[in-house]
Amino acid sequence: MEHTSTYIGLTPLFPLLGALVLGLMHMLTCTKTRLPEKLYGVLACVGPLLSFFLALVIFYHLKGLPTEERFLSHNAFTWFAVGDLHVNMGFLADPLSSLMLLFVTFIGSLIHIYSIGYMAGDKNFGKFFAYLNLFLGSMLILVLGSGPIVMFVGWEGVGLCSYLLISFYSEDTDNVLAGNKAFIVNRIGDLGFVLGMSFLFWAIGTNGFDYLSLKVNAHNLTPAIGITVCLLLFIGACGKSAQIPLYVWLPDAMAGPTPVSALIHAATMVTAGVYMVARFSFLYTHFPLAGSVVAWIGILTALLAATFGMFQKDIKKILAYSTVSQLGYMFAAVGIAAYSAGIFHVFTHAFFKALLFLGAGSVIYALHHQQDIWQMGGLKDKMPTTYKTMVIGALALSGAPLFSGFFSKDEILFSALASGHSGIWIIGVLVAGMTAYYTFRMIFLVFHGEPRDKDLYEHAKDAPPLMTIPLIILAVGAAFAGVLNLPAIFGGSLTISHWLAPSLVEHHPHVSIWIEILAIVTSVAAFAIGITIAYKKFAHGAEEPVYTGLGKFGYNKFYVDEIYNAVFVQPYKAVGAVISKFLEPNVTDIHVKLSSWLYQKAGKAFKVFQVGYIRVYAIYMVIGLSLMSLFLSHSIN
Amino acid sequence: MIQNYLILSIILFCLGILGVITRRNVFTVFMSIELMLNAANLAFLAFSRLHESMDGHVLAMMVMAVAAAEAALALAVVILLHKHKGKLDTNLFSLLKG
Amino acid sequence: MFEYALSVMIFLPIVTGLVMLLFPLSKETARITGFIVTVAILFRGIEIFLSFTGTGGMEYVESRSWIQSLGISYGLGIDGISLLVLMAGTVLFPMLFTIFKTQPKGYYANLLIAQGAMIGAICATDLVLFYIFWEVMLLPIFFMIGLYGGSKRLPATLKITIYTIAGSLLMLAALVYVGVSYHTQFGKWTFAIVQLSELELGGGFAVLAFFMFMVAFAIKIPLFPFHTWLPDAYTEAPTATTFVLSAIMAKIGVYAVIRFVMPVFEIEFARFAVLLSLAGVTGMIYCGLAAISQKDMKRMLAFSSASHMGIIALGVFCMNVQALTGTLFQIAAHATSTGVLFLFVGLMEERMQTRKIENLGGIAYRAPIFATFFAIAMLASVGLPATSGFIGEFLIILGAIKFNAFIGILAGTTLVIGVCYMLWMFQRVFFERSNERTENFQDLNLSEALTFLPVIVLIFAMGIFPQAFIKKIEPAAQQQIAKAFAMPQAQVAETIVPTPGHNNHKE
Repeated sequence: MEHTSTYIGLTPLFPLLGALVLGLMHMLTCTKTRLPEKLYGVLACVGPLLSFFLALVIFYHLKGLPTEERFLSHNAFTWFAVGDLHVNMGFLADPLSSLMLLFVTFIGSLIHIYSIGYMAGDKNFGKFFAYLNLFLGSMLILVLGSGPIVMFVGWEGVGLCSYLLISFYSEDTDNVLAGNKAFIVNRIGDLGFVLGMSFLFWAIGTNGFDYLSLKVNAHNLTPAIGITVCLLLFIGACGKSAQIPLYVWLPDAMAGPTPVSALIHAATMVTAGVYMVARFSFLYTHFPLAGSVVAWIGILTALLAATFGMFQKDIKKILAYSTVSQLGYMFAAVGIAAYSAGIFHVFTHAFFKALLFLGAGSVIYALHHQQDIWQMGGLKDKMPTTYKTMVIGALALSGAPLFSGFFSKDEILFSALASGHSGIWIIGVLVAGMTAYYTFRMIFLVFHGEPRDKDLYEHAKDAPPLMTIPLIILAVGAAFAGVLNLPAIFGGSLTISHWLAPSLVEHHPHVSIWIEILAIVTSVAAFAIGITIAYKKFAHGAEEPVYTGLGKFGYNKFYVDEIYNAVFVQPYKAVGAVISKFLEPNVTDIHVKLSSWLYQKAGKAFKVFQVGYIRVYAIYMVIGLSLMSLFLSHSIN
Repeated sequence: MIQNYLILSIILFCLGILGVITRRNVFTVFMSIELMLNAANLAFLAFSRLHESMDGHVLAMMVMAVAAAEAALALAVVILLHKHKGKLDTNLFSLLKG
Repeated sequence: MFEYALSVMIFLPIVTGLVMLLFPLSKETARITGFIVTVAILFRGIEIFLSFTGTGGMEYVESRSWIQSLGISYGLGIDGISLLVLMAGTVLFPMLFTIFKTQPKGYYANLLIAQGAMIGAICATDLVLFYIFWEVMLLPIFFMIGLYGGSKRLPATLKITIYTIAGSLLMLAALVYVGVSYHTQFGKWTFAIVQLSELELGGGFAVLAFFMFMVAFAIKIPLFPFHTWLPDAYTEAPTATTFVLSAIMAKIGVYAVIRFVMPVFEIEFARFAVLLSLAGVTGMIYCGLAAISQKDMKRMLAFSSASHMGIIALGVFCMNVQALTGTLFQIAAHATSTGVLFLFVGLMEERMQTRKIENLGGIAYRAPIFATFFAIAMLASVGLPATSGFIGEFLIILGAIKFNAFIGILAGTTLVIGVCYMLWMFQRVFFERSNERTENFQDLNLSEALTFLPVIVLIFAMGIFPQAFIKKIEPAAQQQIAKAFAMPQAQVAETIVPTPGHNNHKE
């Protein structure tokens, strides 16, 4: 059932090597002469492109195998073996990971190319690409890892790169703080991951701690442990994929360069949590309770983030909240055991969200780092390519019929309805409408109406081809990626779902066609309502409103950041201060203080005998000698 | 027979102790210490005679040598003390008072 | 030469150090002599590591009768438990002589003596011999902090010396108790640890002796709440001493618990394991929290080091092979991360005459190589996978979960706590704006970079290929657990625990 093939281990190696080479080059030269950007650019793109090539090879290799045998594995070496814990540095390419691999390397390569244009002139050009390559390598380890611990290597690796890239413009304290926040919040999630892995290991991991062995042994799990493991792993997913309550880092993560937001904080890394839940589908399917928690947290995150998205004025923050919101959809899907629907949404989302971010990057680039949509307007004539591609992306994101996002979102909403989670379905439809509203609010404010800042408007123009070509390619993907998983009602055969089937443990519910039609109609209606409202309000010019009441509450993101700051960060620092200023010198040291106090007191007490006159000491000696003699004579007799 | 020697030794020793305790002149104290040493020597010799071995003699010689060395050192100290305070009253030297 | 490998490693540095103190050598000669000696030791160490077979038994055994009437012997040997501690004590030492170039002669001499004594304590298989080296270890530290330390060095010196000697005396008393007990039970005198482990102790005196040993080692580790000497001593000590203290000497405390306490006091050990592991976890959290509000980089690292030692100690008390192996691995890994961070701080202090975090900033722009190296060591210290810090911490957390789920979860928080203070410090020192102090910060020059490069390579090597190390220590850990807790070895390997959190050793 499993085939061994050595070459899959090379896939992550290329970008990692690229990162090493680029990093060394930059590190050794950046304070003296700077190497030409072309050199960096070419070197940076080699690794991702080679990986993409390998991803294609893996895909066709798998495709050539019988459905049940689509598992390629490669154990590079024994990573560590202690007692009955045996961990191989192993890689597993199955339908699920090969799909992830394809779009991660594809979009990754495109964004590398785009970044050559976007980052041109930056003094840390080489460092940027070193980090980006390192990220891609880590992401590939995450995707290809044959067991949870190897996945964790990639998992933490992408977290590190995320930190490095968010704080890339490190002279500004806010950026670094955003990076710290991302790393620390991710680490809280990772704590859940590590604990989940540990519980899982002691429960069923002793006969092999990789996915395939775990899958075989999954039936030995008791419900209590199983649910604990699922929820702990989900905490990890919450951290990485920005779900309630750990979503707060993602909007701040927009401090990084825009291509980073596109690649890491939209298309690939943040979907790792969804991928992980799908990887552990053999656990979550067994424990529907844990699944429901995942689904409900997902859909509530979707609702919350969509609410915040409606009030944002920073173009990247809008997209960030929409990412959080879409991730919520994905978790809702994997929570109700519609894993293939969730992964399909990961797949389409990667295209249209990367597209939107890169488009936003073009706008920001053209407007000299202006990100406030209330300062833009009317750009559609100045930047036609960007406008067209972004509209395609926006249509896909808001689920316009026949665009890729429509099919994947519809699949999720339909699965929710079909499996009887009507609450999730209702919220999902509501969020779909809100998504359409805030996405087109952004499009209309940026590209339509009158320019609000004449000066910026005059100088705006489309980006160079190095940046627009990736946009066009992604736009094609965003428009048509949906056809890969057409449901029967549109004449398709759920190609991706069938492709993923060997990797996942899921059951497709069979329900009447009317339910399917109901799902489609409602989501189209939600889209139509959302876009209409946005059109009415913003298409013909609008001024920045002053939010009051509930609007102000939403504009300030329900003050969640402030609450977290007051509840967690400040107390943490306060406890640290109390420990080091009060407890450490006064309380913990008590045994030392007490013994030295005792010594001092005893010294004071015995001091009276120390009169200073020699003869008194002589008397002491005589007394002592007499007592000794007395004692001796007693003991002799 | 031996008792007489020992009683003499004890008397000498007690006189020495009394001298150390009661006298205030550093020289007198020092001489009292020498007295105590000689009391011990007397006891050594008496026992040596009793056991008919030379061990006591050896020790007595040793004590005398040490006493001589000590005297050399002590006199130097006494001179320094005198330089320091101008007098040799032990009550003046109570720096070790706690 | 070969059969006396360990004796040579112990006495070559001690004798060289003493000779250096006696003869009027120049600083430079002293430094170069020290460097040559430590490099020679390093090669012996590497040779021992490579030829170590890792079957679980003692290798390089030397045994001479010493004080026959009391059965005290001069016994040396290395097994999987001491191997990585020995490595920590040998591999990183030559660096100290290349980084700190302008110190007085006594500084280098004391370093050498410290190294010899530490190797002696690591290799000793006789409790009395161990005790002697354990005490000798303290002397050079006393002189180094007292003579070459920072401005508040005297109180720090007094505190560490009195504190550790107090612990040592407790140990001495307990040691006598153990010897006498053996004499009563078996009718002969011995202090060899192999024989002492056959002792069956029980009752109130055994508990008392157990705690006397534990206090002595807890002070050295340092285990909460006996860590209070550490911040002052680490901060005031010259950097090389801080390195020796944190990277090696603290580890000898942990090692001694595994080597001497665990096999002799197995019943008491199992009985108080929860209490002790709570002390470890509490220390980890407490010191981790304290670290965040430190203003002095070195002091922050001191608390960080104490925090990590809490986790390392925890691994010993979990009484399963994963946690124990994790501890043994982490002993070496911690030296490559936190130990090296201390050296980096020392370098910064030499260049900028300050360690105050608020005075620094923007070093990364001036010194990319230094910043990269620092970042790598820092990431290893927070336990990033693929660096040396991960495997050990992971194994310890894994083992702790089996031992007691609650303690395991608390132990896991080290992942978060470590990151908080480290990143914040890194931000304020390396990022943000540079100021007039950091403007002219010199990057590592070639020789410095070459000095640190092996450590950086080691950090990655230990993270990516840990099996090369683990396979040498794991059999010993298995045996230690099996012997101490009287379970057949096969059973330890195949223990299947139905519910995590249930400790199957404590029946």
